Parts: sequence; C-alpha cells; structure tokens
Amino acid sequence: MLFSYNWLKEYVKKLPRPEKLAQTLTMKAFEVEEVKKARKDYCLDIDVLANRAPDCFSHIGIARECALCLNANFSLPETRIKEDKKIKAPDFLSIIVENKEDCLRYTARVIDDVKVKDSPKWIQERLKTCGLRSINNIVDIANYVMLETGQPLHVFDFNKLEAESSKKKIIVRRAVRGEEIITLDDEKYILDKDILIIADSKGPLAIAGIKGGKKAEIDKNTKRIVLESANFNSALVRQASQKIRLRTDASFRFEHKIDPNLTEKAINRAAGLINKVTGGEIVSEILDINYFKSNPIKINLQVWRVESLLGFKVSKKEIIDILKKLEFKIIKTNSVSIMVEVPSFRLDVSLPEDLIEEIGRIKGYKNIPSIFPIGYLVPPKKNYDVFWEDIAKDGLKEMGFIESYNYSFVNEKDIQFLGFFNPVELENPISSDLKFLRPSLIPNLLKNILSNFRYLDEVKMFELGNIFFNGFKEKRMLTGFIASKSRGEQFYSVKGAIDNLLNTMGIANIWYDDFEQTPEQSNSLIWEKDRSAEIKVDFQEIGFLGEISQKVLDDYKIAGKVIFFDVDFEKLSKIALEEREYQPVSQYPPAIRDIAVLVPFEVKVIDAMNKINLAGGDLVADVDLFDIYQGEGLPDGKKNLAFHIIFQSKNKTLGLEEINALQDKIIKALESNPEWEVRK
Amino acid sequence: MALEEIDKAIDLVGLDNVYKKYLGKKGEIASFFGSLKNLPEKDRKEVGRCLNSFKKLLEEKIKIKEQEFKKSLKLFKNNKLDVSIPGKKIKTGHLHPLTLVKRRAENIFGEMGFSIAQGPEIEDEWHNFDALNIPKNHPARDMWDTFWLKNGKLLRTHTSPVQIRYMKKNNPPIRIIVPGRIFRHEATDASHEINFYQLEGLMIDKDISISNFKAIIQEFFSRFFNKVIEARLRPSFFPFTEPSFEVDMSCVVCEGTGCSVCSSTGWIEIMGAGMVHPNVLKAGGLIPRQKAKDTGWQGFAFGIGLDRLTMMKYKIDDIRLLYSGDIRFLKQF
Repeated sequence: MLFSYNWLKEYVKKLPRPEKLAQTLTMKAFEVEEVKKARKDYCLDIDVLANRAPDCFSHIGIARECALCLNANFSLPETRIKEDKKIKAPDFLSIIVENKEDCLRYTARVIDDVKVKDSPKWIQERLKTCGLRSINNIVDIANYVMLETGQPLHVFDFNKLEAESSKKKIIVRRAVRGEEIITLDDEKYILDKDILIIADSKGPLAIAGIKGGKKAEIDKNTKRIVLESANFNSALVRQASQKIRLRTDASFRFEHKIDPNLTEKAINRAAGLINKVTGGEIVSEILDINYFKSNPIKINLQVWRVESLLGFKVSKKEIIDILKKLEFKIIKTNSVSIMVEVPSFRLDVSLPEDLIEEIGRIKGYKNIPSIFPIGYLVPPKKNYDVFWEDIAKDGLKEMGFIESYNYSFVNEKDIQFLGFFNPVELENPISSDLKFLRPSLIPNLLKNILSNFRYLDEVKMFELGNIFFNGFKEKRMLTGFIASKSRGEQFYSVKGAIDNLLNTMGIANIWYDDFEQTPEQSNSLIWEKDRSAEIKVDFQEIGFLGEISQKVLDDYKIAGKVIFFDVDFEKLSKIALEEREYQPVSQYPPAIRDIAVLVPFEVKVIDAMNKINLAGGDLVADVDLFDIYQGEGLPDGKKNLAFHIIFQSKNKTLGLEEINALQDKIIKALESNPEWEVRK
Repeated sequence: MALEEIDKAIDLVGLDNVYKKYLGKKGEIASFFGSLKNLPEKDRKEVGRCLNSFKKLLEEKIKIKEQEFKKSLKLFKNNKLDVSIPGKKIKTGHLHPLTLVKRRAENIFGEMGFSIAQGPEIEDEWHNFDALNIPKNHPARDMWDTFWLKNGKLLRTHTSPVQIRYMKKNNPPIRIIVPGRIFRHEATDASHEINFYQLEGLMIDKDISISNFKAIIQEFFSRFFNKVIEARLRPSFFPFTEPSFEVDMSCVVCEGTGCSVCSSTGWIEIMGAGMVHPNVLKAGGLIPRQKAKDTGWQGFAFGIGLDRLTMMKYKIDDIRLLYSGDIRFLKQF
C-alpha cells in the first residue's frame, strides 16, 4: 500500500529521511518494499501485515507506528466542526438498516451548498502519490479521508435520491435477485440476496462497501450531498466482492474489518474538510444508526511470560511504557502481572501473546540472543518411509537411473491415452491442461522420454511420488523406465534392476507372473499384453513391469522401445528388511557342469530351474541360465536352454562320482517330461 | 678407446655414431686396412688377422648394445601410460537436487534431535486452515491460493497441517521436521511453481523461546551452507504463530557486505516462523502454557522453501528447471 512521506511528517514532526524511516519500519513494524521520489514528496510502498489492516491501512495508523518505532511524538489533525443550526438532517433524511448483522453502524451527514470543482493542489498531490486519481473536490475529500483514517466514505447527490414523500430514505438492505446497478465506472452488475446495497425508496444507489452507483453520482451541479461513513460486515463485503469480481480500495479495507468507532471521526473530518474547501454548510445533527456495543477487551499479562516467549528479559516498567505508547490503557498492575485494556482500533489484539509480540518488536528482535534449548535428550525417531526411500533412490541411481520430479497434475489426454477411470478432478484447475491429479507417475515420465529423446538415444529415469485415485485417495509409487530408440530387448535389464533394488531392500522371494488383466483394472491400456509381468513377493502383488503398449507410445509420439516398472512403494517399504544374516562361505571347491535341454517353446525357464534345484537339492549352489536358442537347426516349436550348474557342499569336497550321480538325477528329472530332451 | 665409447653410448643414435667412426666405410678400421699395404709382407697377415678379430669384437659389442637399447625401447613403448587419455565413462544415475537438499536438511535437523514426520497431500479444510487459526471467510485465507478438489477437499498449501496431525498423536516434547510437496494456485514464473517443497519445523516443550529458535535456525543454515550464517528476525503475520516473524539470513555470497544476490542489503529473506499460536496448540490437543509456569506447552514453528534453498545452493535461476525432467539439467547433480 502506498503512503505519502510528507503526509506522515504532518503527524510526526521528527521524521528521519525516507530511506532511514523505511529501514526502521521494516525492522520493527512492516516491510517497506520501495521508496520512490514523487515530485516534492516520497512515496513509500509499505507491506502492511494483514492483521494490522484495521488500523494501518491509513496514514494515521502508519504515523502512529512511526512515532512508536522512533520514540517520537505524534499529533492528529483537528476534527472539530461547525454545524449550521438552521436546518436539521433528520427532518429530510432518514436511515434504515434492515439487518444489524450486515451493517453494525451507519453514519451520515448532509452538507448543503457545496460547489463542485477541482480539488486544491495539495489534495490532488497527495492522492496522486498514493496512486489515486483526482475526480472532483467532494469525491477527492472522501478518498483523502479514507487514506488518512482508513474509513472508506461515500458521497451521494441528495437531490438525485428518489422518494415517495418529501422526506428521503437511505436503506441498507440485501439486493433482490435480479436487481441491477450501473456503477460509477459505467459497469452493469446484476445483484442478488448475498449482496448488500445502499438504496433509496426506488432502487440501488451503491453496492455497500464496494462501489457507488451512477444514479446519485456527484456532478458539477450537485448542491446538497449525503456523506456516508459506515461499518459493513467484513465477511459479507468479501463474499460480494468475490462474487461480482470487483475489488476496490473500499472493499479491501472493509474485508479486513474496521473499528466501528471510526465512522464518526472520519465523517466529521470529511465534513470539516468539505466545509473548508468547498464552502458547503454542514447541516446540523449527525444521522447515526449504531448497533455496536463497545466492550473493550481486557488482557491480563503475566510478566514472566514476556521473557519466557521472547527469550530475553524486559522489565515491567519497560513493558508498561511500550504498552502505553501503543495506546493500551493500563488498568491495574501488581508485582507479577499487568492488566490492560485494548484500544478499539487494535482489532488484532486479544491475547497476552499479542501483547508480547508488540513488546518484542518494539524492543527490537535484534536484541534476542541465540540460545540452544534446554530439554530432555530424546533421540529422534527413525522414519522408515524416508529411510527406505533413500535406499531405493540410491540403489536406482547406482544402476544408472536419473531421478525426475514431475508435476502432480495431468491433462485430459493423459487420462484418455492410458485409460484411467475416475481420476481425481480439480474444482479450479490452473489451466485446462492440468485438470486432474496424476493417477500414475507414468504419463509425466512418458513426457520426460519424449523431451529427452531430442538429445539422447537411451534414457533411464525414475520418480518417487504420490499418485491420486478413485475416492480422493493417495499412494506413494516408485516408477521408472529404460527407453531406447533401438529395438533391443531391455525387459530383462529392467527386471534385473528390480531384482537388484528389492535385494538391496532386503526383500527375497521375488517372482514374476504373467500380466493378467482384471476387468476393473484402470491401467488397461498401458502394458503390452504378452510382454509384461506382475512383480510379486510371496503372494503379494507389489507392482508391474513391462513394455509400454504400441498404442500408448504412438499416442505420446515416442519412437522407440520403453520398459517401465511401476511399484507400490508403500507395500514395498512395509516388507523391506534392514537385517542381514551372514551365510558362511563354503571351504570346499565348487564344480561346474553344463546342461542343455530342448523344451517346447511355451515352457518357462523358471520351471526348468525349479526341476534342477529340486533334483539337485542342497548341493546345487546355483543355477545360471547362459543361453536360450530357438530357430535354425532345432525342431519346430522347440527351444534350447543352456545352464551352468554349480555343485558345492558346505561340508566336503564333492567327488567325481557324486557329481555325476547328481547330474544324472537332474537329467532324469528334466526328462521325466517326455517332451523335454537333455542334449548330450 | 672404441670399447669405452660403446659403453658410453646412451642411445641408438650415439651407438650409430660409434659404428660410423670405427666400422663405417671411411671409419678407422677401414683406414687401417687401407694402410696394411704399407707394412712389410710378413707382418701384413698377422696385423690383418688382429684387425679382423677386433672388428668382429666391435661389431658384436655394438650389436649387443643395440639389442639392449631396442629392448628397453620396446619396454618403454609397452609400459608407459598416456595419463592424458580421458578416463572411461562409468554410467551412473543422478539424484534430483531437491532430494539432495532435502536429505541434507533432514540430516542436520536429525543431528539436532528432530524426527521426520509426514502427512497427506490431499488435505481437508480443517487441517489446512481452521485448525491453524485461519477462519472461513477471513481475508487471511487469501494468503494461500488454493487448489480445490471436486469433493471439497484441497491440495495442502503448506506442510503446517502435519503439525496438527502430529500433535494429536504424540505428546511433547515434540521436535519434528516435515518435508513435503505443497501446492499453490498461482501463475508460474522463474520463482513460482504450482507445486513445490516445504520443510516445516516444530519444536514444543515446556520453555521454548524465540531465542531457542534463533539458535537452532542459525545452526541449521551455518551447517547447510558450510559457513557462519546469522539470522535476523523481522515482524510478520501468520495466523498460526504469535509472535510471527520473517527470517532473513546473512547473505551467503557476500557475507553481509552487499551484492546482487541480496540486492545490496546483506540479507536474504528465507523463511517465515513464529511461536505456535495457543489456538493451534489447542487444535492439536495440547494445553498452551499460559496460566502458570509449570503447566502447558509452548514452542516454535517454521517453514522453509526447499526449492529456494536448492536454487541458492546450486545457483539455479529458474524454479521450473526443477520440474522439467530435463536430463541436461539433472545430470549435473
């Protein structure tokens, strides 16, 4: 918010240079974002804190802060006025407030014989410094007083009010649905019952607290005016302003609440200025509908709490001095506590903590020493989710994967391309392009492939993050891929990476099952049917591994081969194990034998390995597939599997005969199926 | 003489010179042979034989020496490394800079006794706002531009709701940090994103003060940036803390003398913090320490932007790079 340096100086005589002032305010009250030369003045852009809007969206409020921070004197402008006793306002104007909840206070004055023209230079200058346009002397004064006091004012041309009798009415009421108003800037608004208006007997004159209407606008022929200074319900103004999408200097102030005591001070100040500047006569008697019951807040501040919160000692005398300067009334004190009454303009203060903040900032936060806390030495708890995340990420990194962080949002096409059901939709997306929360990490990673394929032929990446699905639930997933422009087989590289990763996390009993589509599965379009697997640990499915379907790759315009893994990280970290047990290394030499077996094409390698292990028992230390061959030289529908079998005992050196016997046993087991043939 | 010279030869060139001098066409041996005719007949035979055997000896010596040289040259060629040849590329992956910074922050706070807590990214209004002393229809809610979901829930605008969730399940003393993804409904530019990371901190105990906060946060920054960092507090407003402050740290680049990073002020605005508001403690099921010294709890809370910390640490000038998935960027970490 913009403030005039010269204006502040009017209230605080001993104001330092603008830059110096800005520094002091920044450290003790509000951040001054900019100091700008403005003709013969300076403009200070002050970031008034939201809770201090009621008193500091005004030059008087900021001047009070300046005086306080600088320990200087502060004096307010004269507000005494001279009323013209010949006529009385209530004789020809009445105010009706339909609902006191909507408008706690409505204060009005009538001023006669005003001469509308340009306002004097000094008013124009100050408005300009504060970023307001000059209209005419009457409107300018209303705005001037708003900048000065923080109370928005409005002015109506009395003669333009319509009435059924000679006595005119100003009514504060909710708009009727469909009622219309043309505002001062010639915009038309259609109103409803959620919007508070100021009306005459016929219709709307203004949108309460937001904007005046064209109907009773001040023009150069205006003679008699009605000055309005009211306290409208902050939440109501806020709602209305959001509803009609119109925010003004007035609505901004009303939204943040205003001291109801201010209406009268502000209206008198404005009346006085109008009288002085335009020669208008202030009609006697103020019209004041006031439902506000003054009930000042009292706070009992225990002195020990000041030091306990701030961390440094402030004497009781100093506390009292600061509070007095802040215009808090000291009601009573004793050796341990101070009872204060909060001034009505400090709507932000209601607790001892609020007072302590005031004391702290005025004393200066720079005086706060840094002292390590004293307390029980409670060792921090280990967070296993984070622990396993770190292990998994490190593991993937070591295997050459690059970590990506993508948006949590996806677009309609992603949902369509991958066939997700019931994605979580946003009520107010930032753009139509980011309408949904990601139901999987896959879509955005696919986009990573596309963009990186511009520079690279092979891309290996992963992401660990939350996905959102059905019923507004979320889940942590670990998803990654190897994407390659060449058509080489990468499935087993990704599979190997998963084996490796799970082993690092202490998970054994990993196996892979054919990917089976269940009808309710939402990710129905992602995987290439015959080239994908379910990753299982014992009997639990923990994720998928496989080739992305050609359709999806086409949709994303990716030319290449992409193998993804998509793992439920929550399940994974639940079964992960930190413990390891040492297995003694055999002291006896291993013996290696090779076996090649011809099997029908559809036989799975794991079945052959299982037979070998089962037949060989404990003495088979390892079985290692080193070749698969199908094609030329083999009978149709067959493939050849070649294994190294490592025989080793923990207790002795295996003799030749023993090994041969085992080998024979294995061959017999393999050939127990008539379609299998061990090649000799 | 000649034998000595063979011994003294240090390389093949030197050896060749010796050869030329004695055994060449115009060498000394040849000239001796030439002068044989000047000798008496009877001596010629004898001297000639001597010369011949000397010539053979020289030839042999030179050959041996030559082989020695050649052998060592060969050895030289086989064994000597050209250390300027580029090393073989070993392909490893890379962790995201946000992961690195998050871990570092977690470690530093862990060393100071803080546990890591987490919470959901989809939040309800109560945890995100009401419980944090931000009432409905209050302009303070405008401080957080919020993404709303169709079911009335929202994407958390800060990690602060986890304060409430944690307080409800754990008794003080509480020392936690909450790193996590948060969301803001605002236009993106070089310093704004719609999702980014925050690190929340919460310390609740019997007698925790602002001066304790100052010590903890200075220690954090000093360890994080590996240099002595000072913290400066300025008044601020957050509904969930009272007193509230903005925290500046002394500039990591110029150390307070003024530079472009700190706009010549010597200070960088880095985070918001404050003493936990009594209403927030109550919402978390704790009794605020208000009435008497020995009952109730008090403490501080803070929120640091991890993206900003990452950008400062690695001198990244555009936050959007962090969410670009661009390997040319990611492989630098």
